[in-house]
Amino acid sequence: MNDYIIETNGLTKKYGSTYVVNQVDLKVKKGEIYGFLGPNGAGKTTTIRMVLGLARPTKGSIHIFGKDMKKDKLSVLKKVGSLVEYPSYYGHLTAYENLEAVRILLDAPKSRIDEVLSIVRLTNDAKRPVKGFSLGMKQRLGIATALLGNPELLILDEPTNGLDPSGIIEIRELIKSMPKEHGITILVSSHLLSEMEQMATQVGIISKGKMIFQDSISTLRQRSSSKIRIKVSDTEAVSKKLLSWGYKVGSNENYIFVENTSDREIAEIIRKLVNHQCSIYRVEEEKKSLEQIFLELTGGEASL
Amino acid sequence: MVRLLRTELLKLRKSSIWLLIFVSPFLSLLVGLGETTAGLPEEEYWLTTYQWMSFPHAALFLPLLTGVFSAFVCRYEHVGGGWKQLAALPVSRGKLYLAKLLVVCLLIFYTQILLVAGLFSVGQWKEFQVAFPWETVAIGAFSGWLACLPLIALQMLVSVSWSSFAAPMAVNVIFTLPNILILNSETYGPYYPWAQPFLAMMPHTETESFRALHISMETLFIVILGSLMLFLFAGFTYFIRKEI
Repeated sequence: MNDYIIETNGLTKKYGSTYVVNQVDLKVKKGEIYGFLGPNGAGKTTTIRMVLGLARPTKGSIHIFGKDMKKDKLSVLKKVGSLVEYPSYYGHLTAYENLEAVRILLDAPKSRIDEVLSIVRLTNDAKRPVKGFSLGMKQRLGIATALLGNPELLILDEPTNGLDPSGIIEIRELIKSMPKEHGITILVSSHLLSEMEQMATQVGIISKGKMIFQDSISTLRQRSSSKIRIKVSDTEAVSKKLLSWGYKVGSNENYIFVENTSDREIAEIIRKLVNHQCSIYRVEEEKKSLEQIFLELTGGEASL
Repeated sequence: MVRLLRTELLKLRKSSIWLLIFVSPFLSLLVGLGETTAGLPEEEYWLTTYQWMSFPHAALFLPLLTGVFSAFVCRYEHVGGGWKQLAALPVSRGKLYLAKLLVVCLLIFYTQILLVAGLFSVGQWKEFQVAFPWETVAIGAFSGWLACLPLIALQMLVSVSWSSFAAPMAVNVIFTLPNILILNSETYGPYYPWAQPFLAMMPHTETESFRALHISMETLFIVILGSLMLFLFAGFTYFIRKEI
Protein backbone atom coordinates (compact mmCIF):
# COMPACT_ATOMS: atom_id res chain seq x y z
CA MET A 1 0.00 0.00 0.00
CA ASN A 2 2.07 2.92 1.27
CA ASP A 3 4.52 3.64 4.03
CA TYR A 4 2.14 5.21 6.52
CA ILE A 5 2.22 3.61 9.95
CA ILE A 6 -1.07 5.23 10.92
CA GLU A 7 -3.53 6.33 8.30
CA THR A 8 -7.08 7.38 8.98
CA ASN A 9 -9.58 8.35 6.34
CA GLY A 10 -12.53 10.57 7.13
CA LEU A 11 -12.40 9.55 10.77
CA THR A 12 -15.49 10.90 12.48
CA LYS A 13 -16.94 10.59 15.95
CA LYS A 14 -20.31 11.96 16.82
CA TYR A 15 -21.70 12.14 20.34
CA GLY A 16 -25.36 13.05 20.10
CA SER A 17 -25.46 15.76 17.49
CA THR A 18 -21.99 17.19 18.08
CA TYR A 19 -19.00 16.15 16.04
CA VAL A 20 -16.14 15.60 18.46
CA VAL A 21 -13.91 14.41 15.64
CA ASN A 22 -14.83 15.42 12.13
CA GLN A 23 -13.32 13.96 8.95
CA VAL A 24 -9.81 13.60 10.29
CA ASP A 25 -7.17 12.20 7.94
CA LEU A 26 -4.27 11.43 10.19
CA LYS A 27 -1.10 10.36 8.40
CA VAL A 28 1.95 9.23 10.32
CA LYS A 29 5.06 8.05 8.51
CA LYS A 30 7.55 5.52 9.80
CA GLY A 31 10.23 6.79 12.17
CA GLU A 32 8.54 10.13 12.74
CA ILE A 33 7.72 11.79 16.00
CA TYR A 34 4.28 13.03 15.12
CA GLY A 35 3.08 15.84 17.35
CA PHE A 36 -0.67 15.87 17.60
CA LEU A 37 -1.60 19.32 18.75
CA GLY A 38 -4.75 21.07 19.71
CA PRO A 39 -6.37 22.99 22.51
CA ASN A 40 -8.08 21.07 25.30
CA GLY A 41 -11.24 19.43 24.09
CA ALA A 42 -10.32 19.64 20.41
CA GLY A 43 -10.71 15.91 19.89
CA LYS A 44 -7.15 14.65 20.38
CA THR A 45 -7.93 12.04 22.98
CA THR A 46 -11.07 10.88 21.18
CA THR A 47 -9.05 10.43 17.99
CA ILE A 48 -6.39 8.48 19.86
CA ARG A 49 -9.01 6.30 21.55
CA MET A 50 -10.46 5.43 18.18
CA VAL A 51 -7.02 4.69 16.75
CA LEU A 52 -6.43 2.27 19.64
CA GLY A 53 -9.83 0.64 19.26
CA LEU A 54 -11.11 1.86 22.63
CA ALA A 55 -13.93 3.79 20.98
CA ARG A 56 -15.84 3.00 17.83
CA PRO A 57 -15.65 5.53 14.99
CA THR A 58 -19.00 6.84 13.77
CA LYS A 59 -17.55 6.96 10.27
CA GLY A 60 -14.22 6.52 8.54
CA SER A 61 -11.46 3.96 8.53
CA ILE A 62 -8.25 3.40 10.46
CA HIS A 63 -5.26 1.53 9.12
CA ILE A 64 -2.22 0.80 11.27
CA PHE A 65 0.80 -0.88 9.69
CA GLY A 66 -1.46 -1.02 6.63
CA LYS A 67 -3.94 -3.27 8.44
CA ASP A 68 -7.57 -2.46 9.00
CA MET A 69 -8.24 -1.88 12.70
CA LYS A 70 -11.74 -3.27 12.33
CA LYS A 71 -10.47 -6.65 11.21
CA ASP A 72 -6.97 -7.08 12.61
CA LYS A 73 -7.26 -5.20 15.89
CA LEU A 74 -5.51 -7.75 18.09
CA SER A 75 -2.58 -8.37 15.77
CA VAL A 76 -2.09 -4.61 15.38
CA LEU A 77 -2.25 -3.96 19.13
CA LYS A 78 0.53 -6.48 19.68
CA LYS A 79 2.94 -4.00 18.11
CA VAL A 80 1.53 -0.87 19.70
CA GLY A 81 2.36 0.58 23.10
CA SER A 82 0.09 3.24 24.48
CA LEU A 83 -0.52 5.66 27.28
CA VAL A 84 -3.90 7.38 27.11
CA GLU A 85 -4.76 10.49 29.12
CA TYR A 86 -3.56 9.48 32.54
CA PRO A 87 -1.46 6.43 33.38
CA SER A 88 -3.24 3.18 34.24
CA TYR A 89 -2.04 1.35 37.29
CA TYR A 90 -3.08 -0.95 40.08
CA GLY A 91 -2.43 0.91 43.29
CA HIS A 92 -2.19 -2.18 45.47
CA LEU A 93 0.54 -3.71 43.33
CA THR A 94 4.17 -2.69 43.19
CA ALA A 95 5.65 -1.19 40.05
CA TYR A 96 7.19 -4.54 39.23
CA GLU A 97 3.90 -6.40 39.69
CA ASN A 98 2.06 -3.83 37.60
CA LEU A 99 4.45 -4.52 34.76
CA GLU A 100 4.22 -8.25 35.38
CA ALA A 101 0.42 -8.12 35.03
CA VAL A 102 0.80 -6.61 31.58
CA ARG A 103 3.83 -8.70 30.66
CA ILE A 104 1.86 -11.92 31.13
CA LEU A 105 -0.74 -10.67 28.66
CA LEU A 106 1.89 -9.62 26.13
CA ASP A 107 3.88 -12.81 26.61
CA ALA A 108 7.08 -10.76 26.74
CA PRO A 109 10.22 -12.15 28.37
CA LYS A 110 10.58 -11.47 32.11
CA SER A 111 13.89 -9.69 31.61
CA ARG A 112 12.03 -7.01 29.69
CA ILE A 113 10.54 -5.71 32.95
CA ASP A 114 13.95 -4.77 34.32
CA GLU A 115 14.88 -3.25 30.98
CA VAL A 116 11.88 -0.92 30.85
CA LEU A 117 12.24 -0.07 34.53
CA SER A 118 15.77 1.09 33.91
CA ILE A 119 14.74 3.02 30.78
CA VAL A 120 12.35 5.12 32.86
CA ARG A 121 14.69 5.01 35.87
CA LEU A 122 12.30 3.37 38.30
CA THR A 123 14.53 0.43 39.16
CA ASN A 124 14.99 1.61 42.73
CA ASP A 125 11.27 2.01 43.33
CA ALA A 126 10.23 -1.22 41.65
CA LYS A 127 9.28 -2.93 44.90
CA ARG A 128 7.07 -0.16 46.23
CA PRO A 129 3.27 -0.13 45.91
CA VAL A 130 2.27 2.26 43.17
CA LYS A 131 -0.33 4.04 45.28
CA GLY A 132 2.54 5.84 47.02
CA PHE A 133 4.03 7.06 43.74
CA SER A 134 4.05 10.69 42.65
CA LEU A 135 2.25 11.59 39.46
CA GLY A 136 5.56 11.84 37.64
CA MET A 137 6.53 8.33 38.72
CA LYS A 138 3.16 6.95 37.68
CA GLN A 139 3.60 8.66 34.34
CA ARG A 140 7.00 7.03 33.95
CA LEU A 141 5.55 3.69 34.93
CA GLY A 142 2.89 4.23 32.27
CA ILE A 143 5.58 4.80 29.67
CA ALA A 144 7.42 1.72 30.90
CA THR A 145 4.22 -0.28 30.45
CA ALA A 146 3.82 1.11 26.94
CA LEU A 147 7.38 0.02 26.10
CA LEU A 148 7.01 -3.44 27.59
CA GLY A 149 6.01 -5.25 24.42
CA ASN A 150 8.84 -3.80 22.30
CA PRO A 151 6.33 -1.84 20.24
CA GLU A 152 6.91 -0.52 16.74
CA LEU A 153 4.45 2.25 17.35
CA LEU A 154 4.12 4.23 20.53
CA ILE A 155 1.02 6.30 21.16
CA LEU A 156 1.37 8.75 24.02
CA ASP A 157 -1.50 11.02 24.95
CA GLU A 158 -0.31 14.07 26.90
CA PRO A 159 2.68 12.23 28.38
CA THR A 160 4.02 15.28 30.17
CA ASN A 161 0.74 16.32 31.77
CA GLY A 162 1.22 17.19 35.39
CA LEU A 163 4.99 16.73 35.40
CA ASP A 164 7.46 19.19 36.83
CA PRO A 165 9.96 20.87 34.49
CA SER A 166 12.72 18.32 35.07
CA GLY A 167 10.24 15.50 34.54
CA ILE A 168 9.10 17.10 31.29
CA ILE A 169 12.65 17.38 30.02
CA GLU A 170 13.34 13.79 31.00
CA ILE A 171 10.30 12.42 29.17
CA ARG A 172 11.06 14.62 26.18
CA GLU A 173 14.60 13.32 25.89
CA LEU A 174 13.27 9.79 26.26
CA ILE A 175 10.78 10.29 23.45
CA LYS A 176 13.37 11.92 21.22
CA SER A 177 15.81 9.08 21.67
CA MET A 178 13.32 6.41 20.75
CA PRO A 179 13.09 6.63 16.95
CA LYS A 180 16.88 6.85 16.72
CA GLU A 181 17.71 3.97 19.01
CA HIS A 182 14.86 1.58 18.41
CA GLY A 183 13.26 2.70 15.14
CA ILE A 184 9.97 3.31 16.87
CA THR A 185 7.36 5.58 15.37
CA ILE A 186 5.74 7.87 17.91
CA LEU A 187 2.43 9.67 17.99
CA VAL A 188 2.44 12.11 20.84
CA SER A 189 -0.34 14.51 21.67
CA SER A 190 -0.14 17.74 23.58
CA HIS A 191 -1.83 21.07 23.94
CA LEU A 192 1.54 22.77 24.30
CA LEU A 193 3.13 23.85 21.07
CA SER A 194 6.36 24.83 22.76
CA GLU A 195 6.75 21.22 23.85
CA MET A 196 6.13 19.82 20.39
CA GLU A 197 8.54 22.31 18.83
CA GLN A 198 11.30 20.61 20.75
CA MET A 199 10.66 17.05 19.72
CA ALA A 200 8.21 16.61 16.86
CA THR A 201 9.25 16.15 13.26
CA GLN A 202 5.70 16.23 11.93
CA VAL A 203 2.76 18.10 13.35
CA GLY A 204 -0.97 17.77 13.03
CA ILE A 205 -3.09 20.50 14.52
CA ILE A 206 -6.66 19.74 15.39
CA SER A 207 -9.25 22.26 16.45
CA LYS A 208 -12.94 21.70 17.14
CA GLY A 209 -12.65 18.18 15.78
CA LYS A 210 -11.11 19.20 12.47
CA MET A 211 -7.56 18.77 11.28
CA ILE A 212 -6.50 22.25 10.29
CA PHE A 213 -2.82 21.71 9.61
CA GLN A 214 -0.74 18.66 8.91
CA ASP A 215 2.82 18.90 7.69
CA SER A 216 6.40 18.96 8.88
CA ILE A 217 7.38 21.27 11.69
CA SER A 218 9.66 23.21 9.33
CA THR A 219 6.71 24.02 7.07
CA LEU A 220 4.92 25.35 10.10
CA ARG A 221 7.96 27.45 10.93
CA GLN A 222 8.06 28.94 7.43
CA ARG A 223 4.69 30.43 8.12
CA SER A 224 6.29 32.57 10.71
CA SER A 225 7.15 35.24 8.13
CA SER A 226 8.89 38.21 9.53
CA LYS A 227 8.33 41.90 9.03
CA ILE A 228 10.42 44.93 9.81
CA ARG A 229 9.00 47.67 11.95
CA ILE A 230 10.46 51.11 12.07
CA LYS A 231 9.86 53.72 14.72
CA VAL A 232 10.31 57.25 13.54
CA SER A 233 9.66 60.76 14.79
CA ASP A 234 6.53 61.48 12.77
CA THR A 235 4.90 58.19 11.84
CA GLU A 236 2.09 59.55 9.71
CA ALA A 237 4.12 61.87 7.55
CA VAL A 238 6.85 59.33 7.00
CA SER A 239 4.48 56.55 6.02
CA LYS A 240 2.82 58.86 3.46
CA LYS A 241 6.21 59.74 2.11
CA LEU A 242 7.20 56.08 1.80
CA LEU A 243 3.93 55.22 0.08
CA SER A 244 4.43 58.06 -2.37
CA TRP A 245 7.86 56.62 -3.20
CA GLY A 246 6.20 53.39 -4.08
CA TYR A 247 7.02 51.19 -1.05
CA LYS A 248 4.32 48.96 0.27
CA VAL A 249 4.19 49.87 3.91
CA GLY A 250 1.62 49.68 6.64
CA SER A 251 1.48 51.70 9.82
CA ASN A 252 -0.18 52.26 13.11
CA GLU A 253 0.25 55.06 15.63
CA ASN A 254 3.72 54.00 16.68
CA TYR A 255 5.31 51.99 13.93
CA ILE A 256 5.73 51.66 10.25
CA PHE A 257 5.69 48.07 8.98
CA VAL A 258 7.49 46.82 5.94
CA GLU A 259 6.62 43.28 4.95
CA ASN A 260 8.46 40.74 2.78
CA THR A 261 11.37 42.89 1.95
CA SER A 262 14.93 42.21 1.04
CA ASP A 263 17.82 43.56 3.09
CA ARG A 264 18.71 45.81 0.16
CA GLU A 265 15.29 47.41 0.12
CA ILE A 266 15.38 48.06 3.86
CA ALA A 267 18.78 49.70 3.50
CA GLU A 268 17.41 51.84 0.71
CA ILE A 269 14.43 52.93 2.77
CA ILE A 270 16.60 53.84 5.72
CA ARG A 271 19.04 55.78 3.55
CA LYS A 272 16.23 57.79 1.95
CA LEU A 273 14.64 58.53 5.32
CA VAL A 274 17.93 59.72 6.73
CA ASN A 275 18.48 61.93 3.71
CA HIS A 276 15.07 63.46 4.32
CA GLN A 277 15.99 64.41 7.87
CA CYS A 278 13.70 61.89 9.56
CA SER A 279 14.76 60.73 13.00
CA ILE A 280 14.82 56.97 13.13
CA TYR A 281 14.55 55.59 16.65
CA ARG A 282 14.35 51.88 16.04
CA VAL A 283 14.51 49.35 13.24
CA GLU A 284 13.34 45.95 14.48
CA GLU A 285 12.45 42.61 13.06
CA GLU A 286 9.12 41.29 14.26
CA LYS A 287 8.84 37.54 13.91
CA LYS A 288 5.57 35.73 14.36
CA SER A 289 6.15 33.02 16.90
CA LEU A 290 4.86 29.53 16.34
CA GLU A 291 2.50 30.15 19.19
CA GLN A 292 0.96 33.07 17.37
CA ILE A 293 0.53 30.92 14.26
CA PHE A 294 -1.01 28.23 16.40
CA LEU A 295 -3.40 30.74 17.91
CA GLU A 296 -4.32 32.06 14.48
CA LEU A 297 -4.91 28.55 13.18
CA THR A 298 -7.01 27.47 16.11
CA GLY A 299 -8.96 30.71 16.14
CA GLY A 300 -7.55 32.08 19.35
CA GLU A 301 -9.23 29.64 21.67
CA ALA A 302 -6.01 27.84 22.46
CA SER A 303 -4.69 27.42 25.93
CA LEU A 304 -0.97 27.71 25.69
CA MET B 1 -7.14 -17.09 28.12
CA VAL B 2 -4.74 -18.79 30.53
CA ARG B 3 -2.63 -15.63 30.52
CA LEU B 4 -5.66 -13.49 31.31
CA LEU B 5 -6.50 -15.72 34.24
CA ARG B 6 -2.93 -15.56 35.51
CA THR B 7 -3.01 -11.76 35.39
CA GLU B 8 -6.35 -11.67 37.19
CA LEU B 9 -5.10 -13.99 39.90
CA LEU B 10 -1.97 -11.90 40.34
CA LYS B 11 -4.04 -8.77 40.83
CA LEU B 12 -6.40 -10.57 43.18
CA ARG B 13 -3.75 -12.26 45.29
CA LYS B 14 -2.14 -8.96 46.17
CA SER B 15 -5.37 -7.40 47.30
CA SER B 16 -6.84 -8.57 50.56
CA ILE B 17 -10.38 -9.06 49.34
CA TRP B 18 -9.99 -12.76 48.65
CA LEU B 19 -9.74 -13.25 52.41
CA LEU B 20 -13.51 -12.73 52.46
CA ILE B 21 -13.91 -16.32 51.35
CA PHE B 22 -13.18 -17.21 54.99
CA VAL B 23 -15.78 -14.96 56.55
CA SER B 24 -18.99 -16.76 55.74
CA PRO B 25 -17.67 -20.30 56.38
CA PHE B 26 -16.24 -19.04 59.68
CA LEU B 27 -19.50 -17.46 60.82
CA SER B 28 -21.34 -20.60 59.77
CA LEU B 29 -18.83 -22.60 61.75
CA LEU B 30 -19.77 -20.60 64.84
CA VAL B 31 -23.45 -21.21 64.11
CA GLY B 32 -22.71 -24.91 63.74
CA LEU B 33 -20.83 -25.01 67.02
CA GLY B 34 -23.52 -23.09 68.84
CA GLU B 35 -26.47 -25.21 67.75
CA THR B 36 -27.33 -28.23 69.74
CA THR B 37 -28.14 -31.58 68.22
CA ALA B 38 -29.45 -32.90 71.51
CA GLY B 39 -32.60 -34.98 71.30
CA LEU B 40 -32.08 -35.93 67.67
CA PRO B 41 -31.32 -39.40 66.41
CA GLU B 42 -27.60 -39.69 65.87
CA GLU B 43 -27.83 -40.34 62.13
CA GLU B 44 -29.37 -36.86 61.67
CA TYR B 45 -26.54 -35.01 63.45
CA TRP B 46 -24.56 -34.17 60.32
CA LEU B 47 -27.44 -33.05 58.15
CA THR B 48 -29.05 -30.98 60.88
CA THR B 49 -25.78 -29.17 61.49
CA TYR B 50 -25.37 -28.77 57.73
CA GLN B 51 -28.79 -27.18 57.49
CA TRP B 52 -28.13 -24.84 60.39
CA MET B 53 -24.85 -23.77 58.87
CA SER B 54 -26.21 -23.40 55.36
CA PHE B 55 -28.99 -21.09 56.34
CA PRO B 56 -27.11 -17.82 56.97
CA HIS B 57 -24.48 -18.85 54.47
CA ALA B 58 -26.67 -19.59 51.47
CA ALA B 59 -29.58 -17.28 52.15
CA LEU B 60 -27.51 -14.22 52.88
CA PHE B 61 -23.75 -14.38 52.59
CA LEU B 62 -23.40 -16.32 49.37
CA PRO B 63 -25.56 -13.98 47.27
CA LEU B 64 -23.85 -11.00 48.89
CA LEU B 65 -20.40 -12.40 48.20
CA THR B 66 -21.14 -12.79 44.50
CA GLY B 67 -21.70 -9.04 44.49
CA VAL B 68 -18.70 -8.16 46.61
CA PHE B 69 -16.27 -10.25 44.57
CA SER B 70 -17.64 -9.06 41.22
CA ALA B 71 -17.52 -5.46 42.30
CA PHE B 72 -14.01 -5.93 43.55
CA VAL B 73 -12.44 -7.51 40.49
CA CYS B 74 -13.83 -4.54 38.55
CA ARG B 75 -12.98 -2.03 41.22
CA TYR B 76 -9.25 -1.89 40.66
CA GLU B 77 -9.79 -1.52 36.95
CA HIS B 78 -12.16 1.41 37.43
CA VAL B 79 -9.93 3.16 39.94
CA GLY B 80 -6.60 2.94 38.15
CA GLY B 81 -7.83 3.20 34.57
CA GLY B 82 -7.11 -0.47 34.01
CA TRP B 83 -9.96 -1.05 31.54
CA LYS B 84 -8.34 1.38 29.15
CA GLN B 85 -4.99 -0.33 29.42
CA LEU B 86 -6.44 -3.81 29.04
CA ALA B 87 -8.54 -2.80 26.05
CA ALA B 88 -5.48 -1.37 24.30
CA LEU B 89 -3.58 -4.63 24.80
CA PRO B 90 -3.82 -7.52 22.38
CA VAL B 91 -6.51 -9.37 24.33
CA SER B 92 -10.08 -9.90 23.25
CA ARG B 93 -12.68 -8.18 25.36
CA GLY B 94 -14.87 -11.24 25.46
CA LYS B 95 -12.10 -13.30 26.98
CA LEU B 96 -11.25 -10.56 29.45
CA TYR B 97 -14.86 -10.52 30.62
CA LEU B 98 -14.89 -14.28 30.85
CA ALA B 99 -11.67 -14.27 32.90
CA LYS B 100 -13.21 -11.86 35.38
CA LEU B 101 -16.28 -14.09 35.67
CA LEU B 102 -14.21 -17.21 36.16
CA VAL B 103 -12.19 -15.63 38.94
CA VAL B 104 -15.35 -14.81 40.86
CA CYS B 105 -16.75 -18.31 40.22
CA LEU B 106 -13.51 -19.70 41.58
CA LEU B 107 -13.72 -17.59 44.74
CA ILE B 108 -17.29 -18.72 45.39
CA PHE B 109 -16.19 -22.29 44.76
CA TYR B 110 -13.48 -22.00 47.41
CA THR B 111 -16.02 -20.50 49.78
CA GLN B 112 -18.17 -23.60 49.35
CA ILE B 113 -15.21 -25.89 49.97
CA LEU B 114 -14.42 -23.98 53.13
CA LEU B 115 -18.01 -24.32 54.28
CA VAL B 116 -17.81 -28.08 53.90
CA ALA B 117 -14.50 -28.04 55.75
CA GLY B 118 -16.20 -26.01 58.47
CA LEU B 119 -19.00 -28.51 58.77
CA PHE B 120 -16.48 -31.31 59.01
CA SER B 121 -14.61 -29.50 61.78
CA VAL B 122 -17.80 -28.93 63.75
CA GLY B 123 -18.53 -32.67 63.60
CA GLN B 124 -15.01 -33.52 64.70
CA TRP B 125 -15.24 -31.04 67.55
CA LYS B 126 -18.56 -32.45 68.70
CA GLU B 127 -17.33 -35.97 68.11
CA PHE B 128 -20.14 -37.19 65.87
CA GLN B 129 -19.88 -40.96 65.70
CA VAL B 130 -21.69 -41.54 62.40
CA ALA B 131 -19.98 -41.30 59.04
CA PHE B 132 -19.85 -37.94 57.26
CA PRO B 133 -22.56 -37.84 54.56
CA TRP B 134 -20.15 -36.89 51.78
CA GLU B 135 -22.54 -37.30 48.92
CA THR B 136 -25.37 -35.15 50.21
CA VAL B 137 -23.07 -32.41 51.45
CA ALA B 138 -20.86 -32.31 48.36
CA ILE B 139 -23.84 -32.23 46.04
CA GLY B 140 -25.42 -29.55 48.20
CA ALA B 141 -22.35 -27.35 48.11
CA PHE B 142 -21.93 -27.85 44.37
CA SER B 143 -25.60 -27.09 43.65
CA GLY B 144 -25.28 -23.97 45.75
CA TRP B 145 -22.31 -22.91 43.66
CA LEU B 146 -24.20 -23.60 40.46
CA ALA B 147 -27.09 -21.50 41.69
CA CYS B 148 -24.69 -18.60 42.30
CA LEU B 149 -23.56 -18.42 38.68
CA PRO B 150 -26.49 -16.33 37.40
CA LEU B 151 -26.01 -13.94 40.29
CA ILE B 152 -22.33 -13.60 39.43
CA ALA B 153 -23.22 -12.93 35.80
CA LEU B 154 -25.65 -10.19 36.79
CA GLN B 155 -23.35 -8.62 39.36
CA MET B 156 -20.50 -8.60 36.85
CA LEU B 157 -22.66 -6.72 34.37
CA VAL B 158 -23.60 -4.17 37.01
CA SER B 159 -20.03 -3.84 38.29
CA VAL B 160 -18.55 -3.35 34.84
CA SER B 161 -21.05 -0.68 33.90
CA TRP B 162 -20.89 1.42 37.06
CA SER B 163 -17.55 2.68 38.17
CA SER B 164 -18.76 3.27 41.70
CA PHE B 165 -18.33 0.49 44.22
CA ALA B 166 -21.52 1.31 46.11
CA ALA B 167 -23.95 1.05 43.21
CA PRO B 168 -23.45 -2.66 42.42
CA MET B 169 -23.47 -3.39 46.15
CA ALA B 170 -26.80 -1.61 46.52
CA VAL B 171 -28.30 -3.68 43.71
CA ASN B 172 -26.94 -6.75 45.38
CA VAL B 173 -28.38 -5.98 48.79
CA ILE B 174 -31.73 -4.88 47.42
CA PHE B 175 -32.20 -8.23 45.73
CA THR B 176 -30.70 -10.36 48.48
CA LEU B 177 -32.56 -9.07 51.51
CA PRO B 178 -36.07 -10.09 50.33
CA ASN B 179 -34.66 -13.63 50.36
CA ILE B 180 -35.67 -13.97 53.99
CA LEU B 181 -39.32 -13.51 53.03
CA ILE B 182 -39.30 -15.14 49.62
CA LEU B 183 -37.65 -18.30 50.88
CA ASN B 184 -40.76 -19.06 52.88
CA SER B 185 -42.98 -18.67 49.87
CA GLU B 186 -43.80 -21.87 48.04
CA THR B 187 -45.05 -19.90 45.05
CA TYR B 188 -42.26 -17.37 44.49
CA GLY B 189 -39.28 -19.05 46.08
CA PRO B 190 -38.50 -21.43 43.24
CA TYR B 191 -38.49 -18.60 40.68
CA TYR B 192 -36.45 -15.99 42.49
CA PRO B 193 -32.80 -16.22 41.37
CA TRP B 194 -31.45 -14.89 44.67
CA ALA B 195 -33.23 -17.62 46.58
CA GLN B 196 -31.68 -20.36 44.49
CA PRO B 197 -28.37 -20.82 46.33
CA PHE B 198 -30.25 -21.60 49.52
CA LEU B 199 -32.86 -23.80 47.89
CA ALA B 200 -30.13 -25.64 46.03
CA MET B 201 -28.11 -26.33 49.13
CA MET B 202 -30.96 -27.77 51.12
CA PRO B 203 -31.19 -31.53 50.84
CA HIS B 204 -34.63 -32.75 49.89
CA THR B 205 -35.99 -35.34 52.19
CA GLU B 206 -39.19 -36.12 50.33
CA THR B 207 -38.86 -38.69 47.61
CA GLU B 208 -39.05 -37.25 44.14
CA SER B 209 -38.86 -38.91 40.78
CA PHE B 210 -35.57 -37.49 39.60
CA ARG B 211 -33.16 -35.13 41.21
CA ALA B 212 -29.65 -34.93 39.84
CA LEU B 213 -28.59 -32.23 42.22
CA HIS B 214 -30.56 -30.80 45.04
CA ILE B 215 -32.50 -28.84 42.53
CA SER B 216 -35.48 -29.96 40.52
CA MET B 217 -34.74 -30.13 36.80
CA GLU B 218 -37.41 -27.53 36.24
CA THR B 219 -35.71 -24.98 38.45
CA LEU B 220 -32.31 -25.84 37.07
CA PHE B 221 -33.26 -25.23 33.49
CA ILE B 222 -35.74 -22.42 33.75
CA VAL B 223 -34.55 -20.31 36.63
CA ILE B 224 -30.84 -20.99 36.93
CA LEU B 225 -29.82 -21.64 33.34
CA GLY B 226 -32.35 -19.18 31.99
CA SER B 227 -31.21 -16.29 34.13
CA LEU B 228 -27.56 -17.25 33.62
CA MET B 229 -27.94 -17.11 29.84
CA LEU B 230 -29.80 -13.83 30.01
CA PHE B 231 -27.29 -12.11 32.29
CA LEU B 232 -24.26 -13.54 30.49
CA PHE B 233 -25.57 -12.45 27.11
CA ALA B 234 -26.39 -8.97 28.37
CA GLY B 235 -22.97 -8.68 30.05
CA PHE B 236 -20.98 -9.81 27.02
CA THR B 237 -22.85 -7.65 24.56
CA TYR B 238 -22.55 -4.66 26.80
CA PHE B 239 -18.85 -5.09 27.52
CA ILE B 240 -17.80 -5.79 23.95
CA ARG B 241 -19.59 -2.70 22.69
CA LYS B 242 -18.63 -0.46 25.61
CA GLU B 243 -16.62 2.67 24.86
CA ILE B 244 -13.70 2.80 27.21
